[in-house]
Amino acid sequence: MPNLGQLALAIALILALYSIAANLFGARRGATDLIVSARHAIWAMTAMVAIAAVSLWVGLLTSDFSMEYVASYSSTTLPTVYKITSLWGGQQGSLLLWTLLLSTFASIVAFQNRRRNPDIAPYALAVMAIVAVFFLGMLNFVTRPFDLLAVRPIEGSDLNPLLQNYWMAIHPPSLYTGYVSTTVPFAFASAALITGKLDETWIRTTRRWAIFSWFFLTLGNLFGARWAYEVLGWGGYWAWDPVENAAFMPWLVMTAYLHSVMIQERKDMLKVWNLALIGLAFFLTLFGTFITRSGVISSVHSFTQSGLGPYFLTFLILVALIYIAALIYRVPDLRSPAEFESYLSREAAFLFNNLILVGIAFAVFWGTIFPVLSEAVRGVKITVGPPFFNRVNGPLALGLIFLMGVGPLIAWRRMTVKNLATHFAAPAIIGIATGLVLYGIEIKQWYVLTAISLVAFVAGTIAVEFGRGVSARRHMVHETTPRALVNLVSKNNRRYGGYVIHIGVILAFVGIVGSSFFRAEVKKSVHPGEAFAVGPYMLRFVTLTPLNTPHLESASAEVEVTRNGRHVATMSPAKLFYKKPQQPATHVAIRSTPLYDLYVVLAGIDDQSGMATFQVFLTPLVFWLWAGGLVMVIGTVITMWPNVRERAAIAEVLSRGKQEIAAEPARGGE
Amino acid sequence: MPRIWTIIAAIALLLFVTSPLLAKTTVDEVSQGLTCQCGCGLTVANCNHPECSFSVPLRGEISRLIDKGLDRPAIIAMYRAKFGEKILSAPTTEGFNLLAWVMPFFAIIVGGGAIVMMFGRWRNETPPAASVDDRVSVIDPKLREQLDAEVKRQL
Repeated sequence: MPNLGQLALAIALILALYSIAANLFGARRGATDLIVSARHAIWAMTAMVAIAAVSLWVGLLTSDFSMEYVASYSSTTLPTVYKITSLWGGQQGSLLLWTLLLSTFASIVAFQNRRRNPDIAPYALAVMAIVAVFFLGMLNFVTRPFDLLAVRPIEGSDLNPLLQNYWMAIHPPSLYTGYVSTTVPFAFASAALITGKLDETWIRTTRRWAIFSWFFLTLGNLFGARWAYEVLGWGGYWAWDPVENAAFMPWLVMTAYLHSVMIQERKDMLKVWNLALIGLAFFLTLFGTFITRSGVISSVHSFTQSGLGPYFLTFLILVALIYIAALIYRVPDLRSPAEFESYLSREAAFLFNNLILVGIAFAVFWGTIFPVLSEAVRGVKITVGPPFFNRVNGPLALGLIFLMGVGPLIAWRRMTVKNLATHFAAPAIIGIATGLVLYGIEIKQWYVLTAISLVAFVAGTIAVEFGRGVSARRHMVHETTPRALVNLVSKNNRRYGGYVIHIGVILAFVGIVGSSFFRAEVKKSVHPGEAFAVGPYMLRFVTLTPLNTPHLESASAEVEVTRNGRHVATMSPAKLFYKKPQQPATHVAIRSTPLYDLYVVLAGIDDQSGMATFQVFLTPLVFWLWAGGLVMVIGTVITMWPNVRERAAIAEVLSRGKQEIAAEPARGGE
Repeated sequence: MPRIWTIIAAIALLLFVTSPLLAKTTVDEVSQGLTCQCGCGLTVANCNHPECSFSVPLRGEISRLIDKGLDRPAIIAMYRAKFGEKILSAPTTEGFNLLAWVMPFFAIIVGGGAIVMMFGRWRNETPPAASVDDRVSVIDPKLREQLDAEVKRQL
């Protein structure tokens, strides 16, 4: 199996190189056969990478410790599900997963464009193949997943205990999917720059890919936050760790892109900006991997580090320089007649939204690299942690939420002050009233008051927008309210799906604000049978149950939770000790409600006295962070769903395609 | 009577201004300002190792210092003197470190300025639009009917 895997990777590299050459020569000389051959090479490359991935999985599942990777990240006692997930538990496996996703996406792009975009698709595929060559080069020459050990150990070192969690089964693949899929819009943007076909084709072709990428970046970030919440045991979910930042930055830039691209589609403006944003998003995904893998910046996520840093840095710099040079070269061709009438317009709101999103991304980038800068300039190592990021990004987030409220109701081109007052009166009253109510119930932190008032304002604008749409349908096509609502969303799914995403964002924001400002912590050592109070709850330590398996030892505490004398839950926080890596870990017990999360950590056990120490966090509203994430998922699905008009257009194109094929049977090589 | 109100207002103002100073420093407030040195990369308040050899004793020490009457800046200054700048969870606001705080806002201000300049240029290039009344008056009733029918079809 190891030989097969390594051979498959070598063949994949050759195929990727061939695909670059065939795509470029084929496109330049108009040789259709060569382009078709390049496409086949992409598909064959994907098959080879899949064979390599399957080979590694077989090695992990059969505990083939002759393979260095398997011996380092697995063991005979590791549960099967984690044997599968340990493919991305180490560096070589992570890069293999990245390459598998990249080649799969390249194959899909090749299939989607087999009859479309003949001018730019070969160049886009060549760009994707260049990225694949870099990763395949790493896997073949620098960090090989199929290296064998001179002496086969009897047992493996096991997977890092922090990675033995179900969120780790989906967090890295989601995040990687988000990262890698930015390559598609980037490749088409590059193709547009190479060919000079700078119209909307590249944007139209990659619109769904961009949303797909944003969707998985959102999921990846949320799953990562949930993993941190459940595994790290400090009651929080986001610590502004460099690797978290690296995942957050492309999300911010992709969010900016998804908004600014609407201006290009609508008004043919911001062509340079959109090309720059997509380049930046791709650059940041590589930067994220560079941070994780190089060890340049210390991180809680640095499970594996190696000498990959210089290679990544070189590739990163090359990509950035070539893309910037191409963009500058094309700037004269990207000029278009711009129309702008007023600051009171949707285009202005979108541009300021872009400014803040990119501003936050810059602040995060700056804070992430500042320790390295400080060490280089002053020779002093400093830390840039949560207080910096919260203080800098907190006010910017408020500006962003405000613009999220303004965007849906403000008109394109211009809006009169009178119209503005008419449209925004109700949401503004809702926002102010919410602020006053909060002040009345003794919530007096200015940030919380402003944040929740703005959230209410945004909810108001979205409600007004839905209300107007439903009312229009009821009057014009005489539909009932529920039917009007369904038709409104299904026939304008991109717009109203976007508003649903906004609802998800404000719910998540409520969760973030509530959990950041009002978290309470209690630490208590108690004997079995004793109880202690945490907020409205009473926690009674019942007993401690030990468990010993070949894989781990654990001690699980049974904690009975009551509220006003009524039993509400039995929670089981535990301390774990993984035998192979000889590492302790925590199993947190969480009881989640829309109002509070009760988060119980078994912090210590005194064997002599039988006392257990509990660290308990009572975190308000954190439930809404995850609920908001779910709403964002629903909104994205609505946005991506082909609507009635699109389906009709697709059917028309397909039938036209069939007619053309029937008329020209001898065309092409397929 | 007005004099009493003046006194009450003055006291209220004094309380409002001094209340943050009177508020007792908490262990969490102080430990959020310090970075754990065990390698977890988190703050002393958030270190995820239940038996961490750095953050657990430090939190106890901070609690004792608060009981002795030391406030947040004094405690943080003490640890900075002991461990160096690396223990601070955020850069200081002096010297080179000031750049960390200033740059993000500077970049946003520059970006905002660029947008305003761009808008100004675009606005000069944009031909003045007809007034709302003019636009309404040029719509032929037949066209209006056609438009309504088209809108209904799209709905």
